[in-house]
Amino acid sequence: MSASVTAGPTGGRVARAPRVPLLSGIAVTGVVAGATSLDFALANDGIGKELGEPLVIATIWSWTTVAYFLGGVLAWWRRPASRFGPLMVATGVICFLVTLSWTTSDVPFTIGQMLDKLPTALFLHVFLAFPTGRLNGRLEKGIVAVAYATALLLEPVRMVVGDYGPHNLFGAVPAPAVFNAVRDAQLLALAACCTAGVAVLAVRRRRGGRPLRRSLALLNDAFALGLAMIAVFFVANMVDAPAVAQIRWVTFIALGLAPVAFLIGLVHARLARSSVGELLVELRADPAPSGLAPALSRALRDPSLTLAYWLPAFESWADVDGHRVELPKENADRTTTLIEHDGAQVAALLHDGALKDEPELLSAVGAAAAIALENARLHSDQRAHLDELRGSRARVIEAAQKERQRLERDLHDGAQQRLVALSLELRRLEERLGPDPQARRQLDQARGEITKSLAELRAVARGLHPAVVSGHGLAVALEQMVALAPVPVRLTVDLECRAPDRVEVAAYYVVSEALANIGKHAGATSVSVAVSQTGGELIVEITDDGVGGADPERGSGLRGLADRVEALEGRLRVWSPPGGGTRLRAEMPCG
Amino acid sequence: MRIAIAEDSVLLRDGLARLLGDSGFDVVAQCETADDLLLKVRSYELDVVVVDIRLPPTHNDEGLRAAIAIRSRYPSVGVLVLSQYVELGLALELLADSAEGVGYLLKDRISDVTEFVGAVRRVATGGSALDPIIVSTLLSRQRPDDPLAQLTPREREVLELMAAGSSNQGIADKLVISLRAVEKYVSSIFAKLGLPSSGSESRRVLAVLMYLRS
Repeated sequence: MSASVTAGPTGGRVARAPRVPLLSGIAVTGVVAGATSLDFALANDGIGKELGEPLVIATIWSWTTVAYFLGGVLAWWRRPASRFGPLMVATGVICFLVTLSWTTSDVPFTIGQMLDKLPTALFLHVFLAFPTGRLNGRLEKGIVAVAYATALLLEPVRMVVGDYGPHNLFGAVPAPAVFNAVRDAQLLALAACCTAGVAVLAVRRRRGGRPLRRSLALLNDAFALGLAMIAVFFVANMVDAPAVAQIRWVTFIALGLAPVAFLIGLVHARLARSSVGELLVELRADPAPSGLAPALSRALRDPSLTLAYWLPAFESWADVDGHRVELPKENADRTTTLIEHDGAQVAALLHDGALKDEPELLSAVGAAAAIALENARLHSDQRAHLDELRGSRARVIEAAQKERQRLERDLHDGAQQRLVALSLELRRLEERLGPDPQARRQLDQARGEITKSLAELRAVARGLHPAVVSGHGLAVALEQMVALAPVPVRLTVDLECRAPDRVEVAAYYVVSEALANIGKHAGATSVSVAVSQTGGELIVEITDDGVGGADPERGSGLRGLADRVEALEGRLRVWSPPGGGTRLRAEMPCG
Repeated sequence: MRIAIAEDSVLLRDGLARLLGDSGFDVVAQCETADDLLLKVRSYELDVVVVDIRLPPTHNDEGLRAAIAIRSRYPSVGVLVLSQYVELGLALELLADSAEGVGYLLKDRISDVTEFVGAVRRVATGGSALDPIIVSTLLSRQRPDDPLAQLTPREREVLELMAAGSSNQGIADKLVISLRAVEKYVSSIFAKLGLPSSGSESRRVLAVLMYLRS
């Protein structure tokens, strides 16, 4: 027995995580880089002379460097298929390189200063590329590209015309006016890119109205906050706003928190795996097939999860009730994971695209639920067969009724009309016959035969199909039936509109058969027949005060009625306590 | 008397037209559909129409609808409905609240020309003609304590003819009794059933029908 999970109908490329020594090396490098940055800061006269704001900011920055290294390593390890880990490590590297500008040697300073705005572009890239490490669509790519270009190209220009101290190798002729213009353009462009990024994240959060899973929502918000703060900070810097120091604080803290949010997200995903244990416990209690989707939805923390089962006999997917469903097309929001059991396709989980990022969880849940899913699939299969059976029974009855209706009409338009016309013809003949008593007697006899034939044909036609029901409705048709009933009947018909022909005809037969039964067996002195329409159903109820004890399984008449009613997805119920009269109730959907 | 016929079977339509023509009616129009009949009723001054209950296109209730429409829009035109089957429910729909100038007969009745022509004349002049099957259906109805049981066999015969729309003279002719005797029976029936004796013969048809139905 085996259960396997395939991510996506076509399966996926299996990516291997880098070897542990490499990852550990990167992690150690990150810590060393952070420490080195801090060392640069302490050695720098402008930053680390005393314990002041510049040193605290430098410390937060060094922490951010370390956090991106470590977060990147973790992501790389857990999600080798995603480019996100390498991207985070790269961000950590650049964050470190920027701190070279805190040194007092010419070349490192110049390199560090040149890269000064690059982290902004990288943050934007990281936040928008979560969780796959890839940017979706032209808009996102465009925003990030503009940010990179602005950060990388305008910084050297600023260094040529600006006053960056003695270590700036690009320093030429200070031109404050040009410097200010370039600086403003750069900051404004980066702020605009970040604002656009916030908008992208906001749209992503609301997309399709689906509730993002909680860990994702937290990350999304942390990213958006970081980007928003960068934009505010740059603009405040540009206009020399009074609270620029405070804004700087908040910005750096927000940026330092983003990788923390990412780490929390990872831990959350690990926690999610403990929910597989809860799922197993829940499945041991053998939940109803309809309870499976909610259980899986809880285990995967995806409220939008739905299930589809593969029915080989129908070569189609179906829900738990056996109703055919189509698998949706794959896109970023919705993903399909196929579950197999003993080598056969069993079910498909239709879930949030973000879950693709947690393949281990998906496969663990898939494996845990495989048997329960197979059971649910059998249930669905059974329901589908039952539906088909019911459908074919309804079609058989409907076809038979159509055929009888056609025969009745043929009789009416053919034989019956002809006989009436013939009888008329005989009468004319009789008038021209003259006084021949023998011939008159014979003609009379012939006409009597025709009259009898017509009466017989009428009975046959009526037995084939109660045309009065189709033509004039149940209320009209029942009037005569109750008048001819063997016991006094109180009839109430409360219908707002006509029901479909097959339903009205079935109701007509229900009353007819019930009244016949009452006449034969019930010994009743009064009967009430009530026809009404409630909630889209036609309800027929026949109650008598007879001896009771009617058994629907014994009398073939009642059984036949029940078949007819059930074929219309209705129900026929009989209450018949001995000595307590009989109540027969048929409910049939009018749709 | 001016008459229009609506019947989709050519054989029967021709037969009816000839029969009524021979009996002294002026057959002004022969129609195949209910719409055509309504058109003819509007264009000609008619005394009576004879209409098949099942008419094209659906052969469901077109004939009955047309009959009811003519009765409400042209009260002076008598309407005689013919059908292969007679239904109490349809009779009640057709009469609604008046039995004046209306008839409802099984098609078989055509072949009894005297009776049939008499019924057409009655309907044309504001009387009524109900098929005996309708009347016997009503009379056969089971009732908790049947007041009809108090009637003598003769009174029951008179009641049947009365409910079918026969006039007192008609009843007298059919039962071969005197007009006075019929009047006596009628008032005795009304007394026994507790019905107020009403004036016109068609009004008493409705009264008797409603009594029998409830």
